[in-house]
Amino acid sequence: MITVSRLTKQFKTAPRKEGRFKALRAMLSRDYGIKEAVNDISFSVEKGEFVGYIGPNGAGKSTTIKMLSGILHPTSGEVRIDGLSPHSQRRQVSRRLGVLFGQRTQLWWDLPVRDSFDILAAMYDIAPTVKTLRIKELCALLEMDPFMDTPVRKLSLGQRMRADIAAALLHDPDILFLDEPTIGLDVTAKRNIRAFLRTINLELGKTILLTTHDMDDIEQLCSRVIVINDGRIGFDGTIDSLRDRIGLPTIIRVTYRKEMALPKDDWPMRLTNRTGLTLTVECNRKQIRAMDALRLLENLGEIEDVHMDEPDFEEIIHRVY
Amino acid sequence: MKWLRMYKLLVIASLRSRMQYKFNFWLTAAMTALVSVVEFLLLAVILTKFGHIKGWSLAEAGYLYATLTISKALYRSLASDVHHLEKYLVSGELDNLLLRPIPVLLGLMSQNFSFRIGEFLQGIALLAICMRMLFLEGQLTWAAIPLTVVVIGSGALLLFGIGLLTATIGFWLTRIEQLQNITEDAARTAVQYPLTIYPRWMQGLLLTFIPVAFASYIPSLYIIRGQGGLWLIAASLAVAVAVFGLGLLMWRLGIARYQSTGS
Repeated sequence: MITVSRLTKQFKTAPRKEGRFKALRAMLSRDYGIKEAVNDISFSVEKGEFVGYIGPNGAGKSTTIKMLSGILHPTSGEVRIDGLSPHSQRRQVSRRLGVLFGQRTQLWWDLPVRDSFDILAAMYDIAPTVKTLRIKELCALLEMDPFMDTPVRKLSLGQRMRADIAAALLHDPDILFLDEPTIGLDVTAKRNIRAFLRTINLELGKTILLTTHDMDDIEQLCSRVIVINDGRIGFDGTIDSLRDRIGLPTIIRVTYRKEMALPKDDWPMRLTNRTGLTLTVECNRKQIRAMDALRLLENLGEIEDVHMDEPDFEEIIHRVY
Repeated sequence: MKWLRMYKLLVIASLRSRMQYKFNFWLTAAMTALVSVVEFLLLAVILTKFGHIKGWSLAEAGYLYATLTISKALYRSLASDVHHLEKYLVSGELDNLLLRPIPVLLGLMSQNFSFRIGEFLQGIALLAICMRMLFLEGQLTWAAIPLTVVVIGSGALLLFGIGLLTATIGFWLTRIEQLQNITEDAARTAVQYPLTIYPRWMQGLLLTFIPVAFASYIPSLYIIRGQGGLWLIAASLAVAVAVFGLGLLMWRLGIARYQSTGS
């Protein structure tokens, strides 16, 4: 359904000059540096898959999505969506795609949500009866009734995101590219959006490619994860195999009431730091349950306070390498 | 036809967006009208003082000025945000247009639609007055009316073409505001007056490098002064089509270089 082969995108950057008149020389200079935002990546996505595309800021996630949806032209390599190129056949491909950029709305800022839907419906040649029906469905699923007649600029972030998701789905595309659809939302709003995405993936068979910084999005939604860093793919597989590969390191910080014993070498956890009466240990939740870990820690002395940190997203990405 | 309908729809949406801020909407309309009235008064003062410019009478110079004003109002009304492409390049707003199954240029043309009613009214009124004077002096025949319509259309296309070419350079250079000042504003202001008042090198520039003289000066030579022949009009039309075609070609090349912005 989506095939990406040897995709590369380079951006030219002007290098900084050193010494006198550096600003002037940088301006006049013809030489430039090349930054590879996306470097020779290949993958393919089958119908009905829910793929998480993750990586730290600046890894090339958005650049990839923008190339897949026809906004950016690749420096080399190619993209095929249902066998079509999103660059030379942009208009045809755009009808099969629903694209959402969580950071920026695609709705008409000053107009009511309903008007944006009307304009989009006309752009995609959606018949009036189909349009009415689909808006009604989306309205019910995403609970948009209270703000259908509110100008987009007056919506809350959660409302705006729902309206944007509905806009991306209005022309019933088979493929969805969602760039950070839960960014900045509160827990409830995130949960609702996740439930909605799961429904359209499972029940309507939509193929979804999602980028996010939220590990919960990935764990709860994606059947497959692609990790990108520095423009290269570092991992491509199921969420379970990602977990196997990196473990799920939990960090436990324990403060003891008085001087404690130190763990022996054959301990199943790793001691990473010790300051005064506080120990920081790391354990792999696949190997040891939290309760067992606490019991082991209690053996070292009387505990005053415990603090547990779930694995940090950036940390996990880091470990893939 | 389909694209025309689409264009109309987007223009209406854009007008409705602007109408959300009614005060600003009407104030902008009033201000642009005022500015063009002041501009013309300036020209009128010069002409009444000296009677003519390098052999061009008041009516003739007025005709030149009026046709160009209407052409410009047409171009800037129908394709207003082509002139503001820089904004889209810097902010990455072009993304939204690229995601839709419509031609990107059409989408851009329909954004922030502003109907330059002040310029139209002023241009048409002035044109009517000047053409009447020229009729009475026997310089014009009825054939001038359809020819003038053609000239205004071809002038609008030429200005659009020059604007498009300049804007597309933004895909390479990003910031183009100053360049637009030269190729669009300064050049067009220059050819509001008969070309003969300028030194040779500048006439050459306005006939070749930025061929904006073909918008109204060259065809006016034939229509109101009877110089050359009908071929001057044909040549003007040909230049307009060629420049616009080149603009479209550059646009296609430029789109492939669009860099968007980080997010």
